[in-house]
Amino acid sequence: MNLSASLVLEQVVNGVVTGTIYALVGAGLTLVYGTMRVLNFAHGEFFMLGGYVMLLTIAVIANPTAGILVAAVIVFCVAAAVQRFLLRQTHRNADATFAPIALTLGVSVVLQSGALLVFGETYQSINYFVEGTLRIGDFRIAWQRILIVIVGLGLIAILAGFLRFTMLGKAIRATAQDPDAARAVGVPIGLVHTLVFGISGALAAISAALVSPLFAVSPWMGTTLTIKGFIVTVLGGLGSFPGSIMAGIIIGVAESITVMLTASEWREPFSLLLLLFVLLLRPQGLMGAPWSRVT
Amino acid sequence: MLTVQSLSVEYGLVQVLWDVSLDVPNGSIVCVIGPNGSGKSTVLKGICGLVPSRRGRITFDGQDLSNVPCEELVAMGISVVLERRKLFVGMTVRENLEMGAYHRSHRTHMRERLAFVESLFPLLAERRAQLAGKLSGGEQQMVAIARGLMSSPRLLMLDEPFLGLTPKMVNVVASLMRVINKSGVAILFNEQNVELALELSSSGYVLEGGRVAIAGSSANLLRSDHVRSIYLGE
Repeated sequence: MNLSASLVLEQVVNGVVTGTIYALVGAGLTLVYGTMRVLNFAHGEFFMLGGYVMLLTIAVIANPTAGILVAAVIVFCVAAAVQRFLLRQTHRNADATFAPIALTLGVSVVLQSGALLVFGETYQSINYFVEGTLRIGDFRIAWQRILIVIVGLGLIAILAGFLRFTMLGKAIRATAQDPDAARAVGVPIGLVHTLVFGISGALAAISAALVSPLFAVSPWMGTTLTIKGFIVTVLGGLGSFPGSIMAGIIIGVAESITVMLTASEWREPFSLLLLLFVLLLRPQGLMGAPWSRVT
Repeated sequence: MLTVQSLSVEYGLVQVLWDVSLDVPNGSIVCVIGPNGSGKSTVLKGICGLVPSRRGRITFDGQDLSNVPCEELVAMGISVVLERRKLFVGMTVRENLEMGAYHRSHRTHMRERLAFVESLFPLLAERRAQLAGKLSGGEQQMVAIARGLMSSPRLLMLDEPFLGLTPKMVNVVASLMRVINKSGVAILFNEQNVELALELSSSGYVLEGGRVAIAGSSANLLRSDHVRSIYLGE
């Protein structure tokens, strides 16, 4: 095997690209888990839905920006509705630990089967938003991939700023840290939950829209991503937002190095092995839940 | 101002409060005292709707609170400081205070309230950039009370305000409660230290096994045989 420096660099950069997507997916999951202690097994299907909305919008108006925005808005509404009309019912019963899991699994099955019924089982793809390749010596990377990283990281920065500096963002963090105290100061935590679920769905949708030119859109495009998302969330430390961003990039890069050195079927086992290894050393994950409810 | 009539609270199959009635007059300090597990905290949680189910009638200035969720009390002029401080530990002192004025109707006065609260608790101005979770117990209690004052309440409810504080901090918090009360805020609090509570308050309710055993003005309670023999060990 011939491992030139530029090939290694290419693989690392490609890892950062997938890692950005993992980070976005993990951030959505961790936001939901952090604020309402719900493991959302339908997250990958929100991602898939985002892919299809992108596909349909692009078919009507050939403008990727419009596609991304429409995907974000529609999936925000779908996710918010799932929280408001279904998930919220399971919160009424305080000791129903498994009800939210069963419910989100059900939503995932419905969305996946629904997509299969409506769109069929063909894998569909769209054109790159930007053509061309960046070349520096032997090193080559498509501008599309660079765009994914820029938009993805930009989005994460905007979200972090929103959580940190706006009153609404502070209300979300307050709800995550202590729901009773948040209610006591007047935060309508029911609305916060709906909003967070919507934001999380929108994040998934934007990620899907961004990668739709690279990965084909299909009813199953979200399945492995949900699992990957959970790996990222646990690796980063359940409920830790910066942790899941870091873990997303780490998993992405580690995977692409694994694939380069071995074969692509080692991708999934390796990320799980990495998770096991980290948990052995640090059971609380990399960033150990700095804003969790546990004090 | 605040009137509670026959409040009963159940946690699942377990009934914790039976027919508790109490009254907090305008500008007063009222305490709920009693032994551990007598339901003192449940009285406060019950008033602000942080319990699974409650019965009875609760009114504030004549308005019925029975169907008012906890998050809307603050807009009516009631502020709750929950047991064990319940701070947002991953947020700074300043952010915790800001959250106290989260409600739309209070945000416009945020700046003046911050100035007022920080004049009352100068320490919090010094510590404004620190994470609330990193403060000592007494400092955390100050943040919690200060946060409760950010919404300019007319009634401040304090759940076990002295829990886990050093004797020195207990005095500091007690004198702060007097200052706050002098500024026109009624206070309802619960406390295990009966002598301290009765010296601070104008009237009190002794809770035993989830029922009001004896109630009256604090001066009378301090003199009553029941309180003296059971709680003051005389």
